[in-house]
Amino acid sequence: MRYSYIKPRKKTPFTPDVVLIVIFFSITIIMLVSTYLFLLYKDYSFENERENLIQNRLALEQNIEKMERQIHYIQKQQSVAQRVFTQNMVLKDSITNLFDLVPQRITLSRADLLKKGLILYGVTPSKDVYNFMLQAPLRSIFQKSYTSFYPAGNGWLNFVSTNYIVNDDSGELDSED
Amino acid sequence: MKINISRHQVYILLMTLLMLLFVLLFSFLLLIPEGQDYRVKRKESRKAALEYNKYKAFHDQTLEKLKELQSKNRNIITAFERPFSKERFEKQNRVHFSSLAISKIDRAKDEDGFAVYEVNTTSHISSPVNFYDFLDGLNKGDWIIGVNFPIKFVREGEMIRSSFTMKVYENNADKNSTASASSAK
Repeated sequence: MRYSYIKPRKKTPFTPDVVLIVIFFSITIIMLVSTYLFLLYKDYSFENERENLIQNRLALEQNIEKMERQIHYIQKQQSVAQRVFTQNMVLKDSITNLFDLVPQRITLSRADLLKKGLILYGVTPSKDVYNFMLQAPLRSIFQKSYTSFYPAGNGWLNFVSTNYIVNDDSGELDSED
Repeated sequence: MKINISRHQVYILLMTLLMLLFVLLFSFLLLIPEGQDYRVKRKESRKAALEYNKYKAFHDQTLEKLKELQSKNRNIITAFERPFSKERFEKQNRVHFSSLAISKIDRAKDEDGFAVYEVNTTSHISSPVNFYDFLDGLNKGDWIIGVNFPIKFVREGEMIRSSFTMKVYENNADKNSTASASSAK
């Protein structure tokens, strides 16, 4: 027996109103969740980046320290090398000056160059020649100068001239010989 | 007055309220704290990047300085690293002398952290000029060598016998651990 002339409609809880609300909230929730996930990812990424930067900075720090040690060491090598080179050049000048100091008429047979002194052995035609031509310049360089003469046999004189620079502070002769 | 609300409308209202509650809870309990955390971490990360960049700039500057020093002092660095060879020294400097003999190599007291070896040398030269040339050559040689007092010149006929001590400077392997590293770059 039929009570209605129309066909019964199928009833559903998803009315247009519900669907609209569900869509609205779904979009909202999706946006919120995706924002949250994005923030989580960025947090992780920032943390990772920060850790990497700290590690790299520590490596740089160590490298800088190592390089500074190397720079210091090279500077030390440079300074020692310069000192040695200068010392050699000063020595060369000293020897040049010494040999320039000896006049033609005096012949040296031996020269001992000490750190703060000079011992010369040689022959001179006379004491006067020695005194005027070699002793005078030696006295202008060295504070203490002693000379002893003995006959050479051919009328000339052998001489031994000992000359020292006296240190004011130590007052001692620093002879290595 | 009678409010006529259907069951369906109540259902919609409840659902809306629940969803709103979820959105609010989600936002206040998770999203906003996470956002604050994000800002803090971004700031920290930028700070770390700034600090790293400063170190990097200083590192590059130091590296440049080191390379410049190494290229300027290459000969000196190599000379300090090269162990002294009696044979090689004699071969290189024989040209200045009629005869050259190195008699003894002794380890002396370290100077400025460098190992120092004393070498006794006896030679024959025809003129002091040879000795000057030898001293000039020493400064361009393979080692860091300083001629030391006392120096003796003795006339022997037409020749001059010279005897002197030389100090050879080398890297001290015990103390200067950076020595080998300095040349490695």
